[in-house]
Amino acid sequence: MRSETLFSEVMDPKNRANPYPLYELFRQTPVAKQSDGSFVVSTHENIRTLLFDPRLSSEDLPPSRRPHTGNPIKDWILNPIKNRVVTAHRPFIFRDPPDHDTLRKFVMDEFTIQRVNDAHGRVESLVDEFIERCRGRSEVCLVEDLSYPLPVAVICDLLGVPEEDEPHFQRWATQLATALEPDARHDETGRHAIVAAFDEISAYMRKLIREKRRRPADDMLSRLAKPGNKRTPGMGDIDLIATGILLLVAGHETTVNLITNAMLTLLRNPDELEKLKADPERAPRLIEEVLRYEPPVHFRTRKATSPIDIDRVTIPAGAPVILLFAAANRDPARFANPDRFDPDRADNQHFGFGGGLHYCVGAPLARIEAEIALVTLCRRLREPRLMSDPPPYRSGASLRGPASLGIHINGIS
Amino acid sequence: MRIVVDLNRCQGYAQCCYAAPEHFELRGHEILFYDPAPPERERARIERAQQACPVRAISIEPADLAEQDEP
Ligand code: HEM
Ligand code: SF4
Repeated sequence: MRSETLFSEVMDPKNRANPYPLYELFRQTPVAKQSDGSFVVSTHENIRTLLFDPRLSSEDLPPSRRPHTGNPIKDWILNPIKNRVVTAHRPFIFRDPPDHDTLRKFVMDEFTIQRVNDAHGRVESLVDEFIERCRGRSEVCLVEDLSYPLPVAVICDLLGVPEEDEPHFQRWATQLATALEPDARHDETGRHAIVAAFDEISAYMRKLIREKRRRPADDMLSRLAKPGNKRTPGMGDIDLIATGILLLVAGHETTVNLITNAMLTLLRNPDELEKLKADPERAPRLIEEVLRYEPPVHFRTRKATSPIDIDRVTIPAGAPVILLFAAANRDPARFANPDRFDPDRADNQHFGFGGGLHYCVGAPLARIEAEIALVTLCRRLREPRLMSDPPPYRSGASLRGPASLGIHINGIS
Repeated sequence: MRIVVDLNRCQGYAQCCYAAPEHFELRGHEILFYDPAPPERERARIERAQQACPVRAISIEPADLAEQDEP
């Protein structure tokens, strides 16, 4: 197989259940130019280098474009202004320094250790409640019954988003997540759908923030929305909306995959399931190994702002650069027996949460959720068995994970 | 138990501080302070911090050989 078209194989849904053999091919050409002009980077050392290279920009999304409506005022005045405003106020995951750092700091100051660790008890009772709802059944769908609703409930709680609004933003979140997939940039209909979802969720967030200003509560959105003063200016309104949306969505489409992939991996490795049951203290190592072995985010795209020489290849200015985290996570030059699932490996420096400036803000929260979910599932589900292997996958190649995970059980403890 | 943090590797991600706030503290968002000799009963939390560090800057060593020989 030629390396120039290999990435289209990664995008092909037929390879979703097991993309790892393709990643192995990629690592043989560690910086692989694709026929569309993008470069795929797949080894641990190269990705680590590039994550700290200021010449790689995260402002990679194509500029937003709203569809033609036939109404001249909209088409020639309002929508072009909107497009420009939205592009200038992207959430900080799609921004570079210095703006990225300023916006991220607002959030980090709110994402305190105390608040994250306070989520512990709430996560425990939610997990128990979701599992309790499955009582009397002989089959559960992990995604629907736990992996999806848990992170939604947790982030809603933390941000102060009314949970009953969830049905709306589930659709918006799913649609927005497709913006991360490289094929989105070529697909005009898809891009219009993303903009439409964005407009709806922005209107929702704008209203919510207005409400938080009127009646501040003890939640993160209220605190972020607090007007600044001369010495410490607050976040601008449009950035505030973008940040609120990012926080709401970023944990949805990722944590669901972590919990589901972790359970899938345990069901495929029953001895590890038994070990976790016997010793819940193994959970942190186990989750770290899932983040390496079956990460929820397989790659992220950046753009070279000037030419970059790496591993005897020159990436030209303007080229999209795909950092294939999931391939680096199985790089034999970095990890012994990389295709073996081994929670006891000593040196597990994975890219499950990325790295560098954009290292995941929600990592500590996601870890708590996944650890508690897994320990409780192992303790409470009796004789869990996979209904089909591999399970069906969702369409995303970057945010990759099962669409559903059917598990036979013999009751609940 | 003795903790060593390779401060050249440490990038200030603060993941250790979330995992074991009593033993790791990041001051001014960049300088890491930590307890170099936490009690043995804290091992699980220290290991959690070690696991969470994205650059694996934290290592755990036995305090001395005598402790290693303890049953
Ligand atoms: C298992 C769950 C999760 C995984 C695997 C994950 C993964 C990632 C990855 C790989 C990045 C880096 C993106 C890049 O380098 O371009 C990232 C960034 C980010 N994540 Fe997560 N994430 C998870 C959960 C969460 C949660 C629960 C939240 C919110 C509370 C969150 C908020 C963010 C934010 C705000 C960023 C952008 C950081 C920046 O650009 O500085 N994530 N995440
Ligand atoms: S987690 Fe690692 S990199 Fe981050 S502050 Fe702690 S030691 Fe430093």
